[in-house]
Amino acid sequence: MKFLYFCFIATLVILQGCSTTEATPQSNHSQIETTDTTSNLNSKPASDTPVTENNTEELNNEFEDEFSETTTEVNDPLSGYNRAMTTFNDNFFTYALNPVSKAYAAVIPQPVRIGVSNFVHNLNFPIRLVNNLLQLKFMNISDELERFIVNSTVGVAGLMDPATHYMNIPKHNEDFGQTLGHYGAGPGFHLVLPLIGPSNARDAIGLVPDIFLSPLINLHTSPGESIAIYGAVIINKNSLRLGEYESLKKDALDLYPFLKNIYEQKRVSDIAE
Amino acid sequence: MLKKILTILLLTLLSAHAVEEGQIKKVMDSKVKKTLQILKNNKLSQKQKENKSVILMDNIFDYRTMSQISLGKKWKTLSTKDKNKFTRAFEKKIKYSYIDKLKLYNNEKVITKELKKLKPNRISLEYAIISKGKTYKVVYLFYKKKNSNQWYIYDVRLIGVSIIQTYRKQFSEFLKTKSFNQLLKSL
Repeated sequence: MKFLYFCFIATLVILQGCSTTEATPQSNHSQIETTDTTSNLNSKPASDTPVTENNTEELNNEFEDEFSETTTEVNDPLSGYNRAMTTFNDNFFTYALNPVSKAYAAVIPQPVRIGVSNFVHNLNFPIRLVNNLLQLKFMNISDELERFIVNSTVGVAGLMDPATHYMNIPKHNEDFGQTLGHYGAGPGFHLVLPLIGPSNARDAIGLVPDIFLSPLINLHTSPGESIAIYGAVIINKNSLRLGEYESLKKDALDLYPFLKNIYEQKRVSDIAE
Repeated sequence: MLKKILTILLLTLLSAHAVEEGQIKKVMDSKVKKTLQILKNNKLSQKQKENKSVILMDNIFDYRTMSQISLGKKWKTLSTKDKNKFTRAFEKKIKYSYIDKLKLYNNEKVITKELKKLKPNRISLEYAIISKGKTYKVVYLFYKKKNSNQWYIYDVRLIGVSIIQTYRKQFSEFLKTKSFNQLLKSL
């Protein structure tokens, strides 16, 4: 009897061995080393290997479902205005914001700029607290509370971010647009906001309560002050992301629908989190 | 007796899955680690860095499936020759886009997050890139090839945005007003 058990287990172990080799994605480590040496981008593309199109029909249909367009179709009655505003924002970004951010980055060292960015993020804690609360995400609230307490004290008024770097407490960015989405509100029509960029009806409405909650910009600051603060925050933020927008733009065949699609995809994913 | 066998069978099956998933993670982790080493290596020229890091991903990216998904319904109407042409052009496009993003690399830290089995033939593997105080989520999506039982990447999601979905949308908009050959040219 014992022998029978032994044989059975042995067979299973052997079978298991098979399945592990099957699962290895084509490559193994020695293969990586060998391909390393033949480095030339213009060499034969990897996709040149002939593929049998049979048997893939089922898989195709699965992919078609996964990438079905109905899930990303965006209502866009203002496309004319949106397109014009995208061009305006693009020009503003390229010829005004970017040069200013570059000059700013040249003068202010990066650690200081990261400090400013951390500080602003920490100050906007009420927005995240209230929206996580509204969505009843209690684990997130406890994370955010902990982050705020640690970063405001040990992190010197939020200039540093020990909560992320030493304690691994994740951020939970939630805004009112996401709260509305969480409770089933659709995005509504797409709307490109001046200087802010892509948005939609839901998220634009969502900006209003968030502004009330923001200690940086609220009803107590005059419009002039608000613009100055917002401007400084944006320049600082952009100075840490120089080159990213340009790199992204290269992937676009047509900028406006490209940015629109990216924005809507990102918001769907933000809301799902 | 039967109960025991079933238990053993179940346990073995479970562990078989764990190893299977572990393999993908191990290979990807080593690829990511190597890419970072290449990018940090000051002895290499920019061009060498680019070539090396692209080749590292070559055998795990399924460019043909990516091309196919990105073209959607149009794919079926193409001749084999056109399919090959498009796949080659799209592969180049993706590689150049990838290279362009690598240029932004500035000592960012990359952390392996979780691997999720979404379906029997779908796996997602998440990484977090920590850059200047911000964390970016990168998810690699794998599918299992039916006839060969091997896993390939068919899409990458950056901060929740699917690269292939974005191209798919762009191509379908483009093809509404322009021809396939014009699309090939613009790539």
